[in-house]
Amino acid sequence: MKPAKAILHGNGDLQRTLVVVFLRGGADGLALLPAVGDDDYHRARPLTAVGESEAIRLDDRFGLSPVMAALEPAVKEGALSAVHCVGSGDTTRSHFEAQDLMEHGGHTGGGWLGRFLRFREQASGGALSAVALGQAVPESLRGAPSATAMQSLDDFSFSGSDAFVQSLEQLYGGQAGVFGARARDTFDALGRIRDLHANDYSPANGAEYGGGRFARELRLAAQLIQARVGVEAVTVDLGGWDTHLSQAPLISPLLRRLADGLGAFRRDLGAAMQQTTVVVMSEFGRRVSENSALGTDHGRGGAMFVLGGDGAEGRVIADWPGLERDALVGPGDLPVTTDYRDVLIPLLRRHAPGADMAKVFPGHEARPLGEAVERA
Amino acid sequence: MMALNRRRFLQAGGAAAVLGTAGCDAPQQALWPYTGLPGEAKLPFAPPGGGSIDLVSHLLNRLSYGARPGQHGRILRLAKREEEAAARFIDEQLAPEKINDDRAEFRVQRFETLALAPIGEFYEFQPGLLREELTRATLTRAVYSERQLQEVMVRFWSDHFNIDISKGECKWLKPADDRDVIRPHALGRFPDLLAASAKSQAMLTYLDGRANRVRQPGDQPNENYARELLELHTLGVRGGYTQRDVMEVARCLSGWRIGRGLFQNGSVQFEPGLHDGRAKTVLGEAIPARDGMDGRDDFDDVLRIVAAHPSTARHIAAKLCRRFIADEPPAAAIDTVAGVFAKTKGDIRKTLRALFFTDEFRGTRGNKFKQPLHFIASALRATGAESDVGRPLVNYLLRMGHMPFEYPAPDGYPARAEPWMSTLLWRWNFAAKLAKGQIKGSRIDRDRLAKRAGGVAKLAAHLLGRRPSDVELAAATASGNALGLLLASPSFQWS
Repeated sequence: MKPAKAILHGNGDLQRTLVVVFLRGGADGLALLPAVGDDDYHRARPLTAVGESEAIRLDDRFGLSPVMAALEPAVKEGALSAVHCVGSGDTTRSHFEAQDLMEHGGHTGGGWLGRFLRFREQASGGALSAVALGQAVPESLRGAPSATAMQSLDDFSFSGSDAFVQSLEQLYGGQAGVFGARARDTFDALGRIRDLHANDYSPANGAEYGGGRFARELRLAAQLIQARVGVEAVTVDLGGWDTHLSQAPLISPLLRRLADGLGAFRRDLGAAMQQTTVVVMSEFGRRVSENSALGTDHGRGGAMFVLGGDGAEGRVIADWPGLERDALVGPGDLPVTTDYRDVLIPLLRRHAPGADMAKVFPGHEARPLGEAVERA
Repeated sequence: MMALNRRRFLQAGGAAAVLGTAGCDAPQQALWPYTGLPGEAKLPFAPPGGGSIDLVSHLLNRLSYGARPGQHGRILRLAKREEEAAARFIDEQLAPEKINDDRAEFRVQRFETLALAPIGEFYEFQPGLLREELTRATLTRAVYSERQLQEVMVRFWSDHFNIDISKGECKWLKPADDRDVIRPHALGRFPDLLAASAKSQAMLTYLDGRANRVRQPGDQPNENYARELLELHTLGVRGGYTQRDVMEVARCLSGWRIGRGLFQNGSVQFEPGLHDGRAKTVLGEAIPARDGMDGRDDFDDVLRIVAAHPSTARHIAAKLCRRFIADEPPAAAIDTVAGVFAKTKGDIRKTLRALFFTDEFRGTRGNKFKQPLHFIASALRATGAESDVGRPLVNYLLRMGHMPFEYPAPDGYPARAEPWMSTLLWRWNFAAKLAKGQIKGSRIDRDRLAKRAGGVAKLAAHLLGRRPSDVELAAATASGNALGLLLASPSFQWS
C-alpha cells in the first residue's frame, strides 16, 4: 500500500531527488561512451572497440556498448544524456586528488552536494534528506545538514515503540511555531519509515534489479524515493574502474552492471522519474591507447551520464577534439573540454531554482553546457 | 621503537582497528581506572524542585553541556545562598586552569595524534585518522571535561574562526590550530586569540593567507582572509569598513607563508619579497612604508587596529549574547558586554563574567535550542553514561549535520535555533537508543540512575532543571521508556 500523500519539508510529494553515481577508479570514457563513428577510435582500440553496427547509437559519432542494452529504452525515449571529454581541472591523475577535487567541487572545503543541501533556498533539510548508500558518507556530502550512511533498511529504523511515539506526540502536540511544524514533519516521516519496514518492497513495472551490491543499493534508493521519506540526495558508488590490466574482460561486466542497475531503477520508479535525476560521474577518464597489458592508464577527460524524466534532453554533449595525437593532452589523453560542474549546475538549478551556485561551486565560472571550455 | 611501531600501526589504517575494539563491550573498568562519576557521584541525588528552571540549572545549561547526576546539589553546597553558590560556580568555570581535569585528559590521551609536534609531523598521518581523533577528543571533552565553560568557549571560537578541515592541507593542520590557537586562548584575551589565529597554519591555508603575495607593485593581493577578518572575525559585516579597507588589510598581511625548508618544519615565516612594503591606510589609521623585515610590523598594526575597533566589541558581544542569552539578544545586554569587552581590551573572562551577571542572562531561561553536539553531550552527562565516543555515537553528529570542523563556509555553524530543528528524528532515535543501551560503545546504568534519582519525577527534574508537568510525567510513564522519552521530550531539546 502506498502511503497517503502529505507535505514533507515544504515541497512534499513534488520533492526532487538527485542520485549521484560515482564510478570510483577512473572510468574509461571511451568504454562508457565509445566514439563508434570515429575511425580513429577503432584504430586506437583495435582489440576492445565496440563495432559500429553492434552499438546502441546515440548520434552519428557516439554509441553505447551492446552490454548496456538495459539503457536502450531510456535512449529511445530521450531520457539519457551523455557528456564526453568532461572532467575537472585536476592534472595529477591521482585517484585521491582527483576524487577529492571533484567531490569538493573545487579547491575548497566540504562537498558540493553537502553545500547544495545546506545553502539552497529554504534549506530546511529533513532528517533523511541525504543518504549515502555504503559504509561511509562520501566527501561530496561533507557539510550536509544531514547525512546518513546506510547499507540496508535496518540502518534506518526508529527504535521507539508505538507507546513511545504516542507519548512523544502528546508532548510535541502542543508545540507551536517552527518547532511544532518540524515535529509534525518528523511524525509524518516516522509513519512513512514504519510503512517502509512493514511492507515488503516489490519493484514496480516489472523491473528486475538482479544481484550484486550496486543493484541492491539502487533498489534501496528506489524504495526510499517511493516511500517519500524526504530523501533529496542519494550517493551510490560503483568501483572497479581502474583497468590498467586487460581492460576488456574487466570492463564489460561493469558496464553491464551499471546499465542493468540504472535501467531497472528507471523502470521501477516509472512516473517518479519525473522528479528524479541520476548523474553518473568518475574522477577522470583514461588513456586513449591501450598499454602493453591491454589495459588503459589514468587520463583526463571522461564521460558522464544524466538520466532523468524531465529536463534530460537525450542528447550527447561533446566538444569533441577527435582522437588524433595532436588533439590529445599529456601522454595521449582526451582533454577536458567540459567542466563537470557545468553539467551539474543545470541539474541543481532544476532541483532548487534559487540555489546560489557561487556557494555550491565557489570560484567556478559557470558556462552554459555545451559551450566549449577553453583548452588548456 | 615502541613509539615507531605505534605510529606504523596507526598509519596502516589503525583507525578502523582502534574503533573496532573500542566498539565492543570491553571491560572498560579495567581499561579506565578513572571511570565513574567524579566528586558528586557519592553525593545524594538532589534534583531541582522548582516549577521553572532554577538558577543553578540555568548555569549548567548555558555554561556547561548539562548537569550530571548529583552536580546540581554539589553546586548548591558551594555556598549558603543560591546566588552565592551560582557566583562560585561561575568563577570556578572561569578559571579552568585551577580545575583538576585528569579524568578527561586520561580519556583523550589515547588519541595520540593530538600530541604531535612539530606541525610537520601531522603530515605523516592519514587525514582520516587525524579528523577522527580530533572529533572524538572534542566530543569526549564535551562530555567528560570538568572545564565545561572552556569546552563551550572552544566550540564558540571554533565556529567564530571556522576552518573546514576538508579544505586542502587543513586536514593535516587543523588539529594543531585546535590545540595551539583555539584552546589556549578560549578564555584568554581576544587580541591574543586573533593574532594566534591570523598566524595559524590552518587559517593561512583555509582563507588563502599563504597565497597573499605581492612580488611587485602591480600584483593584486589575495584578499580572502582580509575580508573574513573584518567581516567575520572582528568588525562584523556592518562594522563600518570599506572595500578599500579590505584591500589595504590584504596588502598589510601579504608575505606570510608556511616554511617548507629543512628545520622550518612548517613554521610560519615572513617573506619580505612577497610583502607589499608601501604605505597603507587601514580604517583611517596610517601605516608607514616599511622595508625588508620591518614589513612584518604591519601585521601587529593591523591586528591592533581591528581588535580595538568599537565595532569589534559590539560584534563579539552580540555573538556571545546570542550564544548565552537568546537568538535575538537584547540590546541592553549587548551594550553591557561590549562595554566590558572594550574596557578590558578584550579580556574574555571578564567579558563573560559581566555577561553572566546581566539581568537578561539571568532572566532568559530554557530558550536556547541545543545544537546537536550539546544535545548529545547533555544526554550522556545527564545519564552518567560511560562512552568510548566511537563511531556509532559520532555518527549521530553526522546525521544531524553537526560534525565539528566540517562546516563548509567560513562563518561557522549557525547559533540560531531554526536551522537545527529538522534534527528531531535523530534526537528521538538517539534518546530511545541511549536509554535502552543500544548505542554501541555507550552504556548507562539505568537501575543505578533510577535508584539514585528516587523515582521518575525526580529523574525528570534532574533532566529538565525543574519539576516535570503532569503531562510530561504521564507521557514518560506511559512511554515504556521513561528515560528515553524525557531525553527526547521538547524541553530537553532546549537549554
